[in-house]
Amino acid sequence: MDYRALQGYGSFFMSLFLVVMLYGYIVYLYRSEKKGERDFEKYGNIALDDEITSTPVEDKSASERLEEEDK
Amino acid sequence: MFHWLEKNPFFFAVGVFLVISFAGLIEILPNFAEASRPVVGLKPYTVLELAGREVYKKDNCIACHSQLIRPFKAETDRYGQYSLSGEYAYDRPFLWGSKRTGPDLHRVGNYRTTDWHENHMWDPPSVVPGSIMPAYKHMFTNVADIETAYAEAVTVKNVFHTPYGDEFKGTRAAWEAHKPKVLADAKKIAADMKNKDVKEAVEAGKVPEIVALIAYLNRLK
Amino acid sequence: MQSNAALEYDYTVAKLFTYTTILFGFVGMLIGTLIASQLAFPELNYLFGEYGTFSRLRPLHTNIVIFGFTISGVFATFYYFGQRVLKVSMAESKFVMFIGKLHFALYVLLAVGMVISLFLGMSSSKEYAQMEWPLDILTVVVWVLWGVAMFGLIGMRREKALYISLWYYIACFLGVAMLYLFNNMEIPTYFATEGLGSIMHSVSMYSGTNDALVQWWWGHNAVAFVFTVPIVGMIYYFLPKESGQAIYSYKLSLLSFWGLMFVYLWAGSHHLLWSTVPDWMQTMGSVFSIVLILPSWGSAINMLLTMKGEWNQLTDNPLIKFMVLASTFYMLSTLEGPIQAIKSVNAIAHFTDWIPGHVHDGVLGWVSFMIMAGLFHMAPRMFKREIYSKKLMEAQFWLQTTAVVLYFTSMWIAGITQGMMWRAVDEYGNLMYSFIDTVTVLHPYYAIRALAGVLFLTGFVMFAYNMIKTMISSRELTEEPQFKSPMA
Repeated sequence: MDYRALQGYGSFFMSLFLVVMLYGYIVYLYRSEKKGERDFEKYGNIALDDEITSTPVEDKSASERLEEEDK
Repeated sequence: MFHWLEKNPFFFAVGVFLVISFAGLIEILPNFAEASRPVVGLKPYTVLELAGREVYKKDNCIACHSQLIRPFKAETDRYGQYSLSGEYAYDRPFLWGSKRTGPDLHRVGNYRTTDWHENHMWDPPSVVPGSIMPAYKHMFTNVADIETAYAEAVTVKNVFHTPYGDEFKGTRAAWEAHKPKVLADAKKIAADMKNKDVKEAVEAGKVPEIVALIAYLNRLK
Repeated sequence: MQSNAALEYDYTVAKLFTYTTILFGFVGMLIGTLIASQLAFPELNYLFGEYGTFSRLRPLHTNIVIFGFTISGVFATFYYFGQRVLKVSMAESKFVMFIGKLHFALYVLLAVGMVISLFLGMSSSKEYAQMEWPLDILTVVVWVLWGVAMFGLIGMRREKALYISLWYYIACFLGVAMLYLFNNMEIPTYFATEGLGSIMHSVSMYSGTNDALVQWWWGHNAVAFVFTVPIVGMIYYFLPKESGQAIYSYKLSLLSFWGLMFVYLWAGSHHLLWSTVPDWMQTMGSVFSIVLILPSWGSAINMLLTMKGEWNQLTDNPLIKFMVLASTFYMLSTLEGPIQAIKSVNAIAHFTDWIPGHVHDGVLGWVSFMIMAGLFHMAPRMFKREIYSKKLMEAQFWLQTTAVVLYFTSMWIAGITQGMMWRAVDEYGNLMYSFIDTVTVLHPYYAIRALAGVLFLTGFVMFAYNMIKTMISSRELTEEPQFKSPMA
C-alpha cells in the first residue's frame, strides 16, 4: 500500500472518529443535564458574579478536598 | 467521559491542539514531496535577478501585483499561458500576491522591455495615462544589495540543492570571484537604459536597485 | 489560601495594554486611511519620500492593526477578565505579575522593531508575516510569556471550571503559536554562509506552491485565531457582564467552540482557488468554508439570544449597541466569506477590492467594535471613574457604523465591477477593456472608501478622547458597578 492510500484511510477514519466524538459530545451534554448529573448553564454565572470575594461556581479547593476524600 | 477534559487545562490544551493540527496534517504536509519539482528547463535565478527580487520584496510590489495567471480565457488572453506549479520551484518565498490593483506580472518579461520599465518606474502615468501607481524614483539612486543576494543563492544551493554551479561557495573569496559576473549582467541591462546616474553607478561597480529589478522583471516569462 | 478582605484584582498590566491598544489603533487606522486615499489620489504617495508609497505602507497598516491594535486588545482584556473569571488576583503572585510586566515591555520593544524594520523595507514579503527572523524570535518569546502568565493564573485559580472565554483565549494562544512557527521557518543567509551580506536577511524553508499553502494556511488562520477566536471570547464575557444576562445557551457555546476549532483550519486553501495547488485541496477549502457558517452562526446567534427579552437595553446603553452591532457584522462577514469561497464566485472576486471589502466589514464592524466596547466596559472598573460622555459614545457609534457601511458597499461595487470588466469580451471574443480601464473606473469608489476611512478614524479619535477623559478627569466612583457601566 503506498502512502497515498494510507493517507486516504487515515483521513477517513480520523474524520469518522471526530464526527463520532462531536455527536457523542452533544449527546453527553444534553443527557448528563437531563439526568441531573451536571448543570452546564450555571457556568454562565462565572462571568456575571466575578467579584474576587464572591463564591466560585465550583470551588477548586473544595472539590479537590472531596476528591481526596473519595480516595 | 468529557468531564475531565473541561476541568483540566492541560488535557484541554492538548485536545484543542489535536483538533486544530488535524487539518494541517491532512491538507498541507502531503503535498510537499510533489509540488516542489521544477518544470523541465527551469533555471535558478542569477544573483542579479535575486537582488532584483529582493527589491521587489523590499518595496512590496505584491501589495498590488499578482504573479499567478489563472486558467481562464480572459486571463490567458491578457497575460499569456496559465501558471504551472513547477515554474515556482525556486521561488522562496512565493510572490503570487493576493490583490491586482495593477496587472499580473508572472510573464511580464514577454511583453515589456528594459526601457519601458525604466520610463514606467520613473513616472508611471507618463507611460500609462490614468495610472495610480506611485513613481519609484528612489530605485534609481539606492544601491541593490548583491552580496546578500549571493548569500541567498549559496544558502539555497547548500540547503535545498538548488542547482547552482560548483563555484557558488559561502566564502568571501568565492563571492569576490563571482562579483564581476553580476556586474557584467548589470552592464547589459544598463546598456539599454538612458538614465545617466544609473549608467555612471554601474560603471563605478555599483548596481542601482532599478537595474536589479529590471533584470528580475525581464526574467519573468 | 486565606480569604483576605483587602484583596483586589490588580489591573496594572491590563491598563498598560489598554494604552497600547488605543495608540496602535490610532496609528494603524491613520495609515489605513492614508493608503486608502492614495488609491484615489496618487499624489499622496510622495509625502515621505520612499517611505510613504502605498506598497511600503500597506504592511505597516496590516501589521499594526493586527499585531498592534487587535493583539494589544486581546492582552488587555485577558489581563482584565482572566483574573475575574478565575477569581484570582495578579497581586497574589509576584511571579505572574513580573511575567505580565515583562510581557508588556518586550511587546513594546517588538512593536517598535516591527515599525522601524517595515519602514526600512526589511520584509519577508509573506503577508501578515513580514517581519524578519530576529523579530520572529522575539515574537515567539512575547507569545510564550503570555502563555506563562495565562497558565500561571489558571494554576492559581479559585474557580475550578474554566469559563468559555478562556477556552477561546487558550485556543488563540495555541493556534497562533503553531501557525506562526510553521509559516516563519526560514534560514538566515548570513549564518548559512561565512557572514556574507545582511544579517537580517533570511530565505523561506518552503518554495513556490508549498510556500503558498503554508502561507495561506497561516494567513487564513491568523484571521481565525486573532480576529475571530479571541473576539468571540471577549463578547462571551463582556456582553453578559454588561447586560446582566447569562449566555443564552452555555452548551451551544461549547459546541460551537469545538466546531470552530475543527473546521476553521481546513478553509485556508480557499485563498488559493484556481491556483497551482492540487484541485482536491481547493475543493476541500471551498467545502469547509461553507461548513464554517454553522459554528460561526452558532456563536453569533447565541450572542444575540443572550439579549432575549432585554432588547430595551439596546436603546439605553450604547455599549450594548456596540456589541450587538458587532455580532451582526460577525454574521454578515461569516456569510460573505463562504460565498466568496465558492469557486465560481471566487473566479470573479479573487484579486479584486471585494476581498479588502470583506476583510474590513469583519475587522471594522466586528473586531474593532468589540474591542472598543470591551475597553469602555473595563474603564470604569480599572480607573474607578465613570465613562466621560455617553453622548460622545452615541455619536461615535453612528459615525463609525456609517463608515463601515460606506466602506463595504463601495468595495463590493468596485470589486464586482473590476472582476466583470477583466473577463468581459466583445462579440468576436476579444477582451473589451485594457487593464487601465478597469483601474480608472474605480476612482469614485476609492474616493468613497477614503471618506469612510476618514469617518472611522474620526470616530476612533472620539473613542480615544473619551477614554483619556475617563482616565483622568471623570467623576470618581465609590464602588464598582456590577453590570451596566456608569456614564455621564
